[in-house]
Amino acid sequence: MNYIFKFPDIGEGIHEGRIVKWYVNKGQSIRSGDPVVKMETDKVVTDIPSPRDGTIVSRHGSEGELVNVGDALVEIALLGESEQTASSETKASHVAIVEEKGFGVVGKLEVAGDSAYLPVSEEGRLIRSDGVAGLKKKVLATPTARAMAKDMGVDINAISGSGPAGRVVKNDILRAVDGSSKIPIPKSAGEQLPELESPAVTLEPLTQIRKTIARNMIRSKQSAAHMTVFEQVEVDRLVDLRKRLNDKLSEKEMRLTYLPFILKAVGAALTQYPRLNSQMDMEKEQLIIHHDVHISIAIDTPDGLMVPVVRDVNRKGLLALASEMAVLAHKAQLRTLQLADFQGGTFTVTNYGAIGGTYGVPVINYPQAAILGIGRIMKSPVVRGDQLAIGYLMPLSLSVDHRIVDGAESARFIRRVMDFLSEPDSLLLV
Amino acid sequence: MNYDVIVIGGGPAGYVAAIRSGQLGHKTLLLEKDKLGGMCLNWGCIPSKALLESAKKLVEVQRAEEFGVTGIDVDKVGFDWTKAASRAERLVKRLSKGVESLLKKNGVETEIGKAVLNSPNEVLVNNRLLTTRFVILATGSLPMPIEGDVFSVKDLYPFKELLKQKSLPKRPLILGDGPSAIEMAQFFSMVNAQPLLVTFSERLVSMADPYISEVIGRQLQKSRVMVKAFSDLAWNNAKRLVHHDNWNFEYDALINLADRQAVLPETKGFSLDLHQGFLQTNEHLQTSQKTIYAVGDVNGLSIFAHAASAQGLFAVNHLSGVQGLYPPKAIPLNLYTYPEIAQVGYGEHQLKKLGIEYKTADFPLSANGKAMAEGQVDGTVRIHYEPRYGEILGVIIVAPQATDMIAEAVSLIELEATVADVARMVHAHPTISEVMMEAAFIAIDAPIHR
Repeated sequence: MNYIFKFPDIGEGIHEGRIVKWYVNKGQSIRSGDPVVKMETDKVVTDIPSPRDGTIVSRHGSEGELVNVGDALVEIALLGESEQTASSETKASHVAIVEEKGFGVVGKLEVAGDSAYLPVSEEGRLIRSDGVAGLKKKVLATPTARAMAKDMGVDINAISGSGPAGRVVKNDILRAVDGSSKIPIPKSAGEQLPELESPAVTLEPLTQIRKTIARNMIRSKQSAAHMTVFEQVEVDRLVDLRKRLNDKLSEKEMRLTYLPFILKAVGAALTQYPRLNSQMDMEKEQLIIHHDVHISIAIDTPDGLMVPVVRDVNRKGLLALASEMAVLAHKAQLRTLQLADFQGGTFTVTNYGAIGGTYGVPVINYPQAAILGIGRIMKSPVVRGDQLAIGYLMPLSLSVDHRIVDGAESARFIRRVMDFLSEPDSLLLV
Repeated sequence: MNYDVIVIGGGPAGYVAAIRSGQLGHKTLLLEKDKLGGMCLNWGCIPSKALLESAKKLVEVQRAEEFGVTGIDVDKVGFDWTKAASRAERLVKRLSKGVESLLKKNGVETEIGKAVLNSPNEVLVNNRLLTTRFVILATGSLPMPIEGDVFSVKDLYPFKELLKQKSLPKRPLILGDGPSAIEMAQFFSMVNAQPLLVTFSERLVSMADPYISEVIGRQLQKSRVMVKAFSDLAWNNAKRLVHHDNWNFEYDALINLADRQAVLPETKGFSLDLHQGFLQTNEHLQTSQKTIYAVGDVNGLSIFAHAASAQGLFAVNHLSGVQGLYPPKAIPLNLYTYPEIAQVGYGEHQLKKLGIEYKTADFPLSANGKAMAEGQVDGTVRIHYEPRYGEILGVIIVAPQATDMIAEAVSLIELEATVADVARMVHAHPTISEVMMEAAFIAIDAPIHR
């Protein structure tokens, strides 16, 4: 029997990807877990492993081509099974197989949690017409359009309906499958978008990453009730401590930035104020409070913002954190981060101080409850006793989802973070 | 400009367009050369349905004994043409008044008179020249003269003239094979006249699913309507006689319900493009002059009043800047026969021609409790559906209330429903509508009552 391996629905709302490179050719044998294709999705460039052993019978799509979730990637003649008609397994059953065997990235992705890197719109998950739990609201669509979308692996929610009241009709699905369907950007009244290339403007197609960032930012702003508090903390002792430690580390050609200290301080404060380490589930009307502290770190890359996760911050030492962050940053520049690297974050730290910024109003990495922005440490006049002195001040900007965290609690939390940063020795006690 | 919109023709296309135009705040004038309500209300759909109802009552009374009604002497039961016709006229008057008041209520001015288009934005009526931004032509259609010189014109009258007859023709010759010809032929047979139906096309109601043609053929045979092809007949006008070999038929009335032709508006100094004798329109129902729309029979898109009204609304929406979709996918085709027949969506002939893959599921009324109780088991529901997703492509209903029941199928097709949806929808019991659900059960291979 032949097995048609379709571009799996790897969750997170991804519905298309670009084929970067094929690892297999027609006639080539493949083992389960071997990479089939390198795929660029909204978030990552990742290898998609084969879920089965067998021989490649056919390959669909050429390098550079955009494929939709559910499109056939390869047809595999399964090992040890007589060749019969290709099984046109549905997407659902296909995913089940992948999950069951738990191959590489694909298997993990399917079962991954909800709090990945700047999670994309929940819609992809909500609208899935294949009965997956979490079905909350449905895009307006005709029954036939739904049946076709499900069958063809089209994300019906990504389609702009041409029927009455924006209803997705059969022809919309057919157009989407033909690839001629462009999702129209809704124009607000009076908005003038230049339509043609002119000397005054350059038109630049959105990259997958930019599209994801756009969607996530909008979702965060539309879903969370943003509130931001600004503080500055005197960090003379931290400056001194870091200098001393770096002196020691210089022999090993290692160097600590401020970020590992900040992560430790945040991690310690979060254990005391766990609501900032939570997320809200409106559907079930409950708060999901995370016991682990996995901190997402915003990293600036030439392609755009990426936010991988440093796990179990409270269980790791400064050096471990530092080297882990270095690896993530390196991977981010090379775009070799795996989807798993983005998933599971419970709180985010963004360090725009490294670029020279002071204050900002950070956008929460939804559905997390809070994000802490770190500004540039500056020498500033400070008052000690009744004397004016020169001290090092670190600006902090904490955005919280006011649905989850009250103002007093966010003040207490940031005060705790400030305590740790101004008295870094106290981190030894946590 | 004197007006925003001048609508010419007060039938179901024109008066509906005028009402909507008035509602949208356009300064609107409706011009009608004869009677508000047009062909449909005055001389078509409405009076013919009234007459058919009279005939149906007669048949039901004749059958009443079977249902336990006593005291009816079937031999004495008869049909009073004058009463039936005057009932129809009263009904027409009442509805006509209703149209008049609706127009008034919505701020539409009306005027009786023949309109001439002096320019794309000027209308001449009753010796006045009116200027307007838009014109909606809804001038309708008339029976087309039969080709060849076989009739003296005075003998040939359209349905419009029938209502004026003092007595009911006993041996009417009905020309045509479309819905209204079939309905009238059956009407005459039900009131004990002896009609002859003279057909032109290869099959009856050729626009409908071939299954409907078959059903109609059986119905006509059952009600003893003689059917002859026009091309087979020889005519003797003087003797009002048609014959074919040794068979001959002497008629006392000729009713032309065959093809219709557009009533084209008179234009001065400009012309409007035609397509096969009808006003040519684009996808917005605009004629070759963009400020002039053509709706209803005059554009040749449909012969049905409900399609005409839908077009009227569409045109007004369009000239008001509202983009809509015309045509709607599902325009029902109704035949007020006995029992009634209705179809919506694709017929089998269209599916074959277009190469659309389909399957058909059907369920007879003879297995339906309500139909049996009513003693009307002659009928069926047929669903043409797309086999992969089960989308309903076409529905045919033959049943006593088929013309009302088809509304369910119109919704289903317009909303792209599948047979699985219909099977899942609860249909009240006992009703004839259950047959729709039963047919859907068959389509999903899970029949209950079969």
